[in-house]
Amino acid sequence: MPDEPYNPSPIGNPSVLARRNWWQTMLVKFIGKHTPKCREMVRILSQSMDEPMPPMMRIKKRLHFLICCWCQRYEEQLRYMRHTARHFPEHADEASDAPFSAEARERIKQKLAESAR
Amino acid sequence: MSASDIRVAASRWVDDHGECLYRYALVRVRKPEIAEDLVQETFLAAVRGYEKFGRRSSERSWLVGILKNKIVDHFRKLGRETSFTDMEFLSDEFSEKFVSVGFWNHDLGPHEWKPEPDEVMHRAEFWQVMRDCLSKLPEKIRAVFTMREMDCVSSKAICAVLSITDSNLWVMLHRARMALRECLEVNWFDTPAGGTV
Repeated sequence: MPDEPYNPSPIGNPSVLARRNWWQTMLVKFIGKHTPKCREMVRILSQSMDEPMPPMMRIKKRLHFLICCWCQRYEEQLRYMRHTARHFPEHADEASDAPFSAEARERIKQKLAESAR
Repeated sequence: MSASDIRVAASRWVDDHGECLYRYALVRVRKPEIAEDLVQETFLAAVRGYEKFGRRSSERSWLVGILKNKIVDHFRKLGRETSFTDMEFLSDEFSEKFVSVGFWNHDLGPHEWKPEPDEVMHRAEFWQVMRDCLSKLPEKIRAVFTMREMDCVSSKAICAVLSITDSNLWVMLHRARMALRECLEVNWFDTPAGGTV
């Protein structure tokens, strides 16, 4: 069945389940049919970063990850981005070389001195 | 602490952290004069609230925390004047990533990211790539994303601050994450600089 949409490339597919033999093919097709497609899954994964995922969807996600290492990576990478982005502000001086002008510096010091009086 | 001690300390804060705060503010608001104002307000608030500091965190993260609040206030004001909903961006830009039935095109799906975040965060180049990738996002998408992921504002609060609906927020965040993920992968994780720590 060359036009079968689910996991068409078992060779080199690093997912836990790929179509490596008859029963895996059956399982992959079953899971593919009963869990959201990747295009939808990535949207759901993004939303789950902002509000809790319903329990049934959690189960579907787990099943989907068995046949799709790419969605699993996607979720890990959403967390990776969150984890690093949170620390961005403290490293902002390393992230750019925009000059903080000496005038601005002095002006702010002046204001601070006035306010602390 | 006497007034003169605070004055000395405040002057040192400007030297030690002013540049970092300014550059962060600039990434967020883009206009140097607004960024300078935000930094000034941050230091003024820091002087007023010095008693509350209590050294539970580092000076820098304390100041960054104040700046984050000032930035949210800034966007709250903007949110009253302009619409923050942006549903146009990326409508179909990532469609080639998926085959027609909706599964990943396996050749274009996410690659593995290495090394772990804790190692990457010591690399100035990583922060430069992240800044460049953020700057490629459309303005409103970027404002929403950075508020969520850098200022750690809850999604409910963002909707209230910017007067946008939940579903609009989710669409915008999803698009921001999709685009930022792709940009970081191409410009950092798939490059020798990113892969060889």
